Amino acid sequence: MEPRGLAVETEHLTKFYGRTLGLSDLSFAVGSGEVRGLLGQNGSGKSTLLKSLLGLIHPTSGLVKVLGLDVQKSPMEIRRSVGYVPESPRLYEFLTATEYLDFIADVRGLSYAEKKERIGRLIQALDLEGKQGDTISGYSQGMKQKVALMGSILHRPRVLLLDEPLNGLDPKSARVVKELVHSLALEGVTTVFSTHILEIAEAICDRLTILQNGRVLAEGTAQELREKAGLPGSGLEDVFLKLTGTKGVEDIVEALMR
Amino acid sequence: MRARVLLKFAKILMISRLRGTRRSFVTNSITARPVIIALIGIGLFVFGLGLGWVTISVLTSSSTDATAVAQIVFTIFGGIPIFLIGFFFSMGLLWELNASTESETTDAINWLPITPSEYVLASTLSTSYTYSPLVAVVLGYALPIGFLTGNGDAFVLLVGISLVATLIGSVGVEILRSMLARASSAFSRIGGNAMVAMRILGVVLVLVFTQALFSGFLVVRIISTLVGDIAATVAVPVFWPTLSITSLLESDLLSSAIYSLLSLGFFFVLTYIALFLRARFWITAPPSLHFSSSGSLSGISKLRWLGLSSLSVALLRRELRSATRRKEVVRLMAIPLILPVMVLFPVVFSPAPSSTTTPPVAVNPILLAGPLLFGVGLGALFLGITSIGQEGGRLWNIGSLPVGARMIAKSKILFTSIIAMIGLVLGLALAVLVFHLAILDAFVFSGLGLTVVLAESSLGIAVGSRYADFSEGPRPRFVTIAGSIIGSILGIIIMGLMSVAFVVTLLLTFRLGLSLPSILTPLPLFATAFLGLIFSRISYVISIRPIETLLGEIPN
Repeated sequence: MEPRGLAVETEHLTKFYGRTLGLSDLSFAVGSGEVRGLLGQNGSGKSTLLKSLLGLIHPTSGLVKVLGLDVQKSPMEIRRSVGYVPESPRLYEFLTATEYLDFIADVRGLSYAEKKERIGRLIQALDLEGKQGDTISGYSQGMKQKVALMGSILHRPRVLLLDEPLNGLDPKSARVVKELVHSLALEGVTTVFSTHILEIAEAICDRLTILQNGRVLAEGTAQELREKAGLPGSGLEDVFLKLTGTKGVEDIVEALMR
Repeated sequence: MRARVLLKFAKILMISRLRGTRRSFVTNSITARPVIIALIGIGLFVFGLGLGWVTISVLTSSSTDATAVAQIVFTIFGGIPIFLIGFFFSMGLLWELNASTESETTDAINWLPITPSEYVLASTLSTSYTYSPLVAVVLGYALPIGFLTGNGDAFVLLVGISLVATLIGSVGVEILRSMLARASSAFSRIGGNAMVAMRILGVVLVLVFTQALFSGFLVVRIISTLVGDIAATVAVPVFWPTLSITSLLESDLLSSAIYSLLSLGFFFVLTYIALFLRARFWITAPPSLHFSSSGSLSGISKLRWLGLSSLSVALLRRELRSATRRKEVVRLMAIPLILPVMVLFPVVFSPAPSSTTTPPVAVNPILLAGPLLFGVGLGALFLGITSIGQEGGRLWNIGSLPVGARMIAKSKILFTSIIAMIGLVLGLALAVLVFHLAILDAFVFSGLGLTVVLAESSLGIAVGSRYADFSEGPRPRFVTIAGSIIGSILGIIIMGLMSVAFVVTLLLTFRLGLSLPSILTPLPLFATAFLGLIFSRISYVISIRPIETLLGEIPN
C-alpha cells in the first residue's frame, strides 16, 4: 500500500554505466503537488535520476515508483502521466514546431479540438508565433527548449520532470516557465527539476535536494539547508558550495587568469 | 594561401572521413596517421601488380593475336582516367549526401579563419588522398600490362594523367557542393515541399548515375564510343585525360601532348570555378525549411480507413517526414527505389552498342522478376536495418511517450514496406513498358513482392534494433558493421529460401521436362508468399525485445 500523497519515490536506487557510478543507493521521495529542485555539480547524478524516474534508463538495483507504480513494471502507464524535458533536448529537427507538437498530441491521444486549442495557446504564450512553420533545425537553443517544454505539458501531466528547463531561455520565457511550474503545482502537478540557477531553485521550489556522487547529500527547504550548512542568512550559492565541499574557488580563478 | 594551414586542414578532413566511415573497426590512433593510407596504397599497388601480371600472362600465353591484345590494352589504359574521374566524383558526392546536417553546421569553415580557397584545396586534397589506394591498385595493374606490351611510355603518362583525373573528380565535388548550397537556399525560398521533392529527385538521379557509371556496362559503352568515333568525344573535357592516353597508344604524340595539356588546363579551370563558387555562394549554415506561416495541424487521416490507429498514422507520418527531409536519411529511402532499377541495368545496357537490334520483345517473367524482387528485398532490408539507428539522440522523444515496442516495430515495418513497394511498382512498371512483361504477371509479382518486402523489412528491423548504431558523426551509419553483415547474410538466406519453390518448379519443368498439373502451377507462388509471411512474423516477434531494451536504456 502506497502512502497517500507521495508522487515520486526511489528506494536504494543504484545505477552503473559500465564501471562508472551514476547513482549510489539513492532514496528519495517527492510529495504530490510538490516542486522539488535537484541541485548538484556536473556529473552528480541529476540527469540520471530524472531518467530513472521515467524508465529511460534501467537501474542496476533499487526501486523507482511514480504515482504509486513501479517504473520498470508499468512504463506505459507512467509515460502517459508524466511530462519530460531532457537536458539539451534533441528534437526532430526535420519537423516544424507545429508538426512536432501535432505528433506528440496524436501519440498522447488528444482530440483535434484539444490539440488545436492547446498548441495555439502554448505557441502564443512562449512567443513562437510566426516561427512555428519553420523546421526546428533553424531554431535557436532557447526556441528548441521552448518546443520541448510545450511537448512536455501538452497532455497536462500529473508529474513533470524537467532537466535544466531554463537553459537558453530568454528572461520573459524563463519567467513564464517559473509561473507555469508554480501554477501547475497549485493544480496538484508534481514537478521535479534540476537546475544550476540557485536563485530560481530557491524561488520556486518547495524543497531542494543536493546530489553528490550519485547520493543525496542534503535535503530540505532553502532555510533548512542554510541551517545544515551553518550559514543562516547567507545566499544559497554559499550554502551549496559549503555543503558540496567546493573550496579554493579563488585559487582556480587566479590560475585561469595567469 | 597558407600551405601549412592547407595541409593541416586537409589532414583533419581526411581523419574526419576515415573516422566517419570506418570508426567501428579502426582505432582512432590508426586513422590519425595519414601515412597508413600510403601504406595501404603500396600494398594495393603490389596486389594490382600481381593481378596485372596474371592478366598479361594469360593474354600472351593464349592464342590471342597481337591486334586483340592491343585493343585490350587500349581499353584498359583508356578506361582508367575516366573511371578515376567518375570514382572520385562519386565518392566525394556520396560523402556530401551522407553528411549529417549537424556536421555541416559545425563545419570548421564556418567559425575558423580559413579562406574559401584554403578550404576548397584542402577538401580536394583530402578526397584525393583518402581514396588514393584505388589509384595505386589501378596503376599497379596497368604497370606490367604497359611494359610487357611495349607501352611503357603510355604507362608513365598514365601515372601523371591518373593524378590529374583524380584531382578533376575531387575538385568537381567542390563545385557541386557550392552549387547545392546555393540551390538549397533558393529552394528554401521557393517552399519547403519543393525543396524536399528536389532533394529526393537529386539523390535518386545521383545514385542512378553512380550505378550506371560503375555497372561497367556504361564504361564499356563509352570506351566503345571512343574507339568507334573519337571525333564525337573530343569536345567533352572529361574525356581529355583518356584521349591523351589513347592518342599515345596510337603513336600520335602531338595529340597526346595537346590532350595532356588540355586535361591539366581543365583541372585549373575547375579549381578556379570551385574557388569562385565557394567564395560567392557558400552559406555558413543550411537554411531552415519553411513550410507554412501558421503551421497546420493534421486532421483525421484517410489511412485510418485501412484500419490504422491514430497512433500508427502519427508514427508513420513522422517516419515519412524524417525520410524526406533529413539529408542523411533521404539516401536510405532512395535505396529501395533504386535497387530494382539497378538490377535491370545489365538488361538496359544490352545488347552491345554495335548491335542494331531492338530490345527483346518478351522476357521470361521469372528471370525478370527474380532479380527485381531480389533488389526490392535488399532495399527493404537496408532501409529497415537503419531505421532504428537513425533515431540517434532523438530516441528519448519516443522513449518518453506512451508508445510500446510493438507499435514502434509495426510502424517501422509499415513505413519500410510502403517505400519498398513503391520501388517494386516502379520496377515492374519499367518491366512492363520496356520489356513487355504481361500486366497480369506484374500484378502477380507485386503480390509476391509484398511478402518479400514484409519479410525483409521485418528482418531489417529485427537486426537494426539489435545492432543499432546511434553515434552521429560526420557520416552516421545507423547500424554497426556486425549488424550490417549479419543482416545482409540473413536477408539473402531468407530470399534464397523463399525462392526454393520456384527453383524446384523450374528444375522440374525445364531440366527434367516434367509438366506439372495446372492445379499445381500457382503452388510455388503460394509457397513463397506463405514463407515470406512466416519469416515476417518471426522477425517481427524477435524485434520486440531489443526495442524494449533500447527504450529502457536510452543511449546518451
